[in-house]
Amino acid sequence: MARDMVRAMLTPEEMQILATSLGVAGRAVLFSLPVAIAFAWALSRPKFPGKWIVDAVAHLPLVLPPVLVGYFLLLLFGVRGPVGSWLRETFGIQLAFTAEGAALATAVMAFPLMVRAIRLSFEATDRGLFEAAAVLRAGPWDRFWSMALPLAWPGVLAGAVTAFAAGLGEFGAVITFASNVEGQTQTLPLAIYSALQVPDGDATAMRLAAISMTAAVTGLVLAELLQQWARRRLEA
Amino acid sequence: MSLKLSEAVVRRGAFRLTADFEIPADGISVVFGPSGAGKSMLLAMIAGLHKLETGRVEFNGAVLEDAGAKTRVGAHARGIGLVFQDARLFPHRTVRGNLQYAERRRPAARNAPIVVDIARRLEIEPLLDRPVRNLSGGERSRVALARAIVSAPEMLLLDEPFAALDGRRRRAFVTLMRDLSREQSLPMMIVTHQVEEAAELADHVVAVKAGRVIASGAAADAMQRPDFADLLDRRDIGARVDTGAVAGGQGGGVWVRADSVLLAAEEPRGISARNVWRGSVVAIDREVDGAVLVSLDTDAGYIRSRITPEALSDLRLETGATAWAVVKSNAL
Repeated sequence: MARDMVRAMLTPEEMQILATSLGVAGRAVLFSLPVAIAFAWALSRPKFPGKWIVDAVAHLPLVLPPVLVGYFLLLLFGVRGPVGSWLRETFGIQLAFTAEGAALATAVMAFPLMVRAIRLSFEATDRGLFEAAAVLRAGPWDRFWSMALPLAWPGVLAGAVTAFAAGLGEFGAVITFASNVEGQTQTLPLAIYSALQVPDGDATAMRLAAISMTAAVTGLVLAELLQQWARRRLEA
Repeated sequence: MSLKLSEAVVRRGAFRLTADFEIPADGISVVFGPSGAGKSMLLAMIAGLHKLETGRVEFNGAVLEDAGAKTRVGAHARGIGLVFQDARLFPHRTVRGNLQYAERRRPAARNAPIVVDIARRLEIEPLLDRPVRNLSGGERSRVALARAIVSAPEMLLLDEPFAALDGRRRRAFVTLMRDLSREQSLPMMIVTHQVEEAAELADHVVAVKAGRVIASGAAADAMQRPDFADLLDRRDIGARVDTGAVAGGQGGGVWVRADSVLLAAEEPRGISARNVWRGSVVAIDREVDGAVLVSLDTDAGYIRSRITPEALSDLRLETGATAWAVVKSNAL
């Protein structure tokens, strides 16, 4: 029903753009979430050698210009890049200038947001509960799966939804690495940009901007609601 | 079967705990000492939650940790349970979920305790499907204890398990602890700073003061030593008497405060008090405020009585003299 309503309001082109955006942001979150959880867990631990490097790597996309991130990805994963050429020869996968590439660029940009939210959640967990689990015979891995992760669930959820909402709007890294291919890598912000490039594109841009805003705000509200619900559930 | 700590040292910030003792791993051992002495830290050390700086911990002949040899069995692999003072129930699980967490991780054994039985025993059966956030302090303690017992450890450490309970419940709980320890053949090590509780529960005592284990051994011996008296408030000074020697008592011990003991120079007759013990005076100590502490060696064991200097001269008590110690049953 919701789908029919959306369909009634949007043109086929707009539907296509929205679908591309949702697909790119969704895949970006899906693939980077496990990595983000691993980074967040490592960073929430007491000091270990090389922690500052992990910290810096996790936060780099936050401070680098997005275009630069896209450029680095191109150097690394581009058709002639070391990883890109290997992927192509071994698996026949091409990332640059594809929807998968757009997802990768989005994932990298949204990564710090996710790590931050999840890390805060890990850090807020009562360490005493891990000790209690340990004396009930739960080993380190067991404690991670049975204690740390379920207790940090609100943060993981909020991190994922926030990253998804932010991912819908990623521009610089995506256009540099995946380019602006209609129907493939053209997400909402890229479509708005394109619309603004043509004379009389204002109306189109306006409609796309409204869609973009709606999607982003929905994501934020959803994140907040999920987090409140999860917190209530865990209150001791 | 014993628990042995050899020059074991852990440090947390500026606080340092040194432990060097061996106690049999059976019955109930009480860790006794004033607040801040390091009692909880001692339990954490044994359970493997704090890493040793130096020294060694052995349990039933197996080395759990040896700082010198850099061997260390993790807390999860020691088979030693610990009930924390603040219960530490898992907030994302129900009461039953908390118990099942322990049940799923225990090694398979023929006579492992059954969740429902333990729950019934600790009167938490009606709570099983409740989330843990709505439980009262006393309920939380009982769930934490049930969870630890369900995990079927080889030894169970308990940090002030009675703290959240009111007087009546507390006494019932003390009895329950003794029963559970016996029924499950589960050696327990219980932290308390209440001397009555210590006397009532302890088969063995580990006395801790200012970051150091100062005495350990059978309750009857350890609680009689002069350095044990150093751990007590003035009003708690007294002696442990085997309950077998007390009118109406069974098993364990009881703490007899020096303030509740009367002395008589001749055998009292026609008296309501149920406990009259003959003994000889072994020590007469003057306290700072002038009161006199008389120690008797009686049939019931060592007894202390606090009397005034006037009473001392009236009774003409001196070391070696015979005297009778009189204690009302209600004072025990």
